[in-house]
Amino acid sequence: MILYEQSPALLVVIPLLSAFAINIFGLYNRRLCFPIAFLALAATLGAATMTLARVLQAGPISYRLGGWPPPFGIEYVIDHLNGLVLVTIAFVSFLAVIFAKLSVEKELPDKIPQFYTLFVLLVTGLLGMTATGDAFNLYVLLEIAALTGYALIALGDNRALVASFNYVILGTIGASFYLLGVGHLYIMTGSLNMGDLLTILPGLYATRAIFVAFLLVLCGVWLKMAFFPLHTWLPNAYTYAPSAVGCLVAPLVTKVSVYIMIRVMLSVFSSHYVFEVLALTGPIVWLAVAAIIFGSIQALAQDNLKKMLTYLIVAEVGYMVGGVWLATGYGISGAILHIVNDALMTFCLFVFAGIVTYKTGGHMLSDLQGLYRKMPVTMTGFTVVALSMIGVPPTAGFFSKWYLILGAIEAGSYHFMVALLVSSLVNAILFFRIIEITFFEPKMDHHTGHAPEITINEAPFSMLMPLLVVALGLIIIGIYSGTIVTNIIQHSVPGGLL
Amino acid sequence: MEYLVSHYNYWVYILLMMVGLYAMLAKNNLIKKVIGMSIFQTAIIVFYVSTGAKREASIPIIAHGHGHDAAHTVIEAAHYANPLPHVLMLTAIVVSVGTLGVALAICLGIYRRYKTLEEDEIQEQLHDSL
Amino acid sequence: MIWQIDLSVLSLIVLCGFATIMVKDLLSAAIIFGAYSFLMCLLWTEMGAVDVAFTEASVGAGVSTILFIAAAYQTTRIVKPRKSGRIFAKIVALAASVAMGLVLLAAQTNFPGFADPESPASLHLSPYYITQTLADTAVPNMVTSVLADYRGFDTMFETAVIFTAGLAVIAILRRVKHIDRCELPDPYTISAGSQDNIIRFVSRQLVPFMQLFALYVVAHGHHSPGGGFQGGVILGASFILLAITYDIQLVQQRMNEKWNILLGNIGVLIYASIGFICLLLGANFLDYSMLSKILPATDPVMARSHGMLGIEIGVAIAVMAIVVTIYLNLASNGKLDKGL
Repeated sequence: MILYEQSPALLVVIPLLSAFAINIFGLYNRRLCFPIAFLALAATLGAATMTLARVLQAGPISYRLGGWPPPFGIEYVIDHLNGLVLVTIAFVSFLAVIFAKLSVEKELPDKIPQFYTLFVLLVTGLLGMTATGDAFNLYVLLEIAALTGYALIALGDNRALVASFNYVILGTIGASFYLLGVGHLYIMTGSLNMGDLLTILPGLYATRAIFVAFLLVLCGVWLKMAFFPLHTWLPNAYTYAPSAVGCLVAPLVTKVSVYIMIRVMLSVFSSHYVFEVLALTGPIVWLAVAAIIFGSIQALAQDNLKKMLTYLIVAEVGYMVGGVWLATGYGISGAILHIVNDALMTFCLFVFAGIVTYKTGGHMLSDLQGLYRKMPVTMTGFTVVALSMIGVPPTAGFFSKWYLILGAIEAGSYHFMVALLVSSLVNAILFFRIIEITFFEPKMDHHTGHAPEITINEAPFSMLMPLLVVALGLIIIGIYSGTIVTNIIQHSVPGGLL
Repeated sequence: MEYLVSHYNYWVYILLMMVGLYAMLAKNNLIKKVIGMSIFQTAIIVFYVSTGAKREASIPIIAHGHGHDAAHTVIEAAHYANPLPHVLMLTAIVVSVGTLGVALAICLGIYRRYKTLEEDEIQEQLHDSL
Repeated sequence: MIWQIDLSVLSLIVLCGFATIMVKDLLSAAIIFGAYSFLMCLLWTEMGAVDVAFTEASVGAGVSTILFIAAAYQTTRIVKPRKSGRIFAKIVALAASVAMGLVLLAAQTNFPGFADPESPASLHLSPYYITQTLADTAVPNMVTSVLADYRGFDTMFETAVIFTAGLAVIAILRRVKHIDRCELPDPYTISAGSQDNIIRFVSRQLVPFMQLFALYVVAHGHHSPGGGFQGGVILGASFILLAITYDIQLVQQRMNEKWNILLGNIGVLIYASIGFICLLLGANFLDYSMLSKILPATDPVMARSHGMLGIEIGVAIAVMAIVVTIYLNLASNGKLDKGL
């Protein structure tokens, strides 16, 4: 059956072709853009799920593009790790486009065709980055995701242009470092295919060039994922972007960069080289601790809801990087599980911020007053996500934190464990503060003399549905965390660390 | 002398990268930053193309290669330059010009709004509006 | 590979690099950047990278320079000195550059010597491409066969990147409502009135030759340096030449915005569709040998050659449309009324 065999290619080709369909049809009738995007992303979700099912059934897939055997041609390698991430990307982007419909009509009414085209192209870039097994192909798709990201963020109003320019400069430095790192690998080995590099590199582990190659790729990816102290572009870029854009880029772009780091560490340089030959695990875990503490403290200091959420992203990236560099089975499993969980949690939070902007026009914390009475369903969803961010069972956030803490204990990195607990405490303060604000009624209206009426003014269904679906998903994933880890994630952890 | 001849390419690309990075981070004018970005990216292209160069090799096009009568000429790899870095750098040049277009469009948008291209003046205006 | 020429061109490149950063006038910086790019072309040709040189000449030196000039025209020529000290930023930048430079210098001690025929890069994958390109694909230009066939998937996304850039420029610059009037602080006329009859006449004569040459470059990319990108950019440059010497309105009459967007889409669609057809015929995505089933009287090897020609045409159409779009939008600040 063609669909079944070709699903690795289809999950990139479908969004790519539909992006052009959206653009062409959008020239004639703007109302066709959303349906095409919706159908395309639904089909992509189907292809991604089918691919993951294939991997679970039969093991890793190798797909040769152009029919050429690797290392002469480009190869897609789908194993358990990127199968899981692919399904996450497809799922979140499908729900994000559902949310985007009303938000874009309000915020960007004259740019609808361009928005949907760039949106779908961004999803294509993210999917391609995750599926590929060729180091240079990853760079090209990284640039597609980056360019679409720059453009989408620049569509916001206010300070979006300056934030986007800053992002362009730093993002290009990051991508160029990655390219240079791949160049160093190429000049020393002559190959670009990840599997091929894994076999050739062990003879070269003692050379400075390979060490510098690893450093360059690592720094490039750290810039892209906003790992402290290379995070400076993130808060402004994600705060001032349009709401619909925030719902797509905030959950996914940084997590895919974390995936790239894991992939390069484990499948190009082996875990032996990364954890044992280089002596970097200690300093990097300390950096992760700094990221978590810095992100949490900065989040506490904000009175702008979206900016607070962006600093929480910085802290969450610290969880994942620290988890991977703990170099233990639990740590890496926790980090991979957290990729999925954090994508879902960040998506919910940004959808919530988007709903607040849609209904009240602003995104400061003071705009949240009285929301509890006006939008009870939204607040229920938000409360579930808040519990997950804090780490309360049975939500998913608890389980990934649990694995990370176990990993920290296993590795003896107690400072990382303390940072995780401090972060949970700070999240509790932050979210309870928000929920408290939403309980407050707005003050008395001075002109009429009595308190304004609070009527239920719930968010529209197309915005509410993604929030609730993912909130429910967080609970379900939390309950099934054990199954997910044993059946999917364990296969990705290198053997010596389990 | 031998060492100089075999490694000067790499020193030049490192120097160009340093110039580009410094311009991107330290310069005040936004378009100067964009120029720095272009220099940064072209320096990486110098590096890659250097990997493909081969002493006493010709360009990577097989002469008299039309039709099927070329089958009896023996093609030796040492006679032609390495084509793979050239392909990669064709992609990199196109990507860098794409990024340049987007960066310049953002600069124009910023100028339209803030009437200046100097970073410190823009920061002043942002602080004043808060 | 005469290292003395190499070294002198490299030194000139470094000089231009420093100069373009340091001059106080944006127009001069753009022109010096053009010189920098042309010196790079010379360097690539001397190193044997003729396709890269061709692309750098058209895309890097040609289009980038004119985009910088258009941006400088729409904003301001003058680079003002920094008002406040901000020494800290300069120190951080200097420290970062020096640190990066030292790290990279440490790495290059392990590199194989420049132009060494025994380097790992020359021994691992490339001998297969060099020796097998005629047998596998019947295309003598190895760079084209690697670009369009062996690594054709990369090239498809590269075309998508240039498409995205064009779309992004339109999305960022187009303002339908509340157009802020942008007054040009320094009066700035490149051409005034009827004094450019010579320029206009000459450019009018040049345009058909440019376009014919561009079509030749696309079609002959299999046998000589060239291909879809270079041809597409030259085609686009012919329109930009008309836009500079006459007026944007003239180009708009012949290729308006709608057609530009349509052609940009159609170009990349041609590429992706050829790959998709191969997928529907039963092979993997972009496996052109399957096209021999639908193309009359071709064996799988020639089918690869024809498939490559097809995608190169798609690339040329897309790149032409996008390059013209980016220039028109930058030169008129999104309003498409008048430009350089």
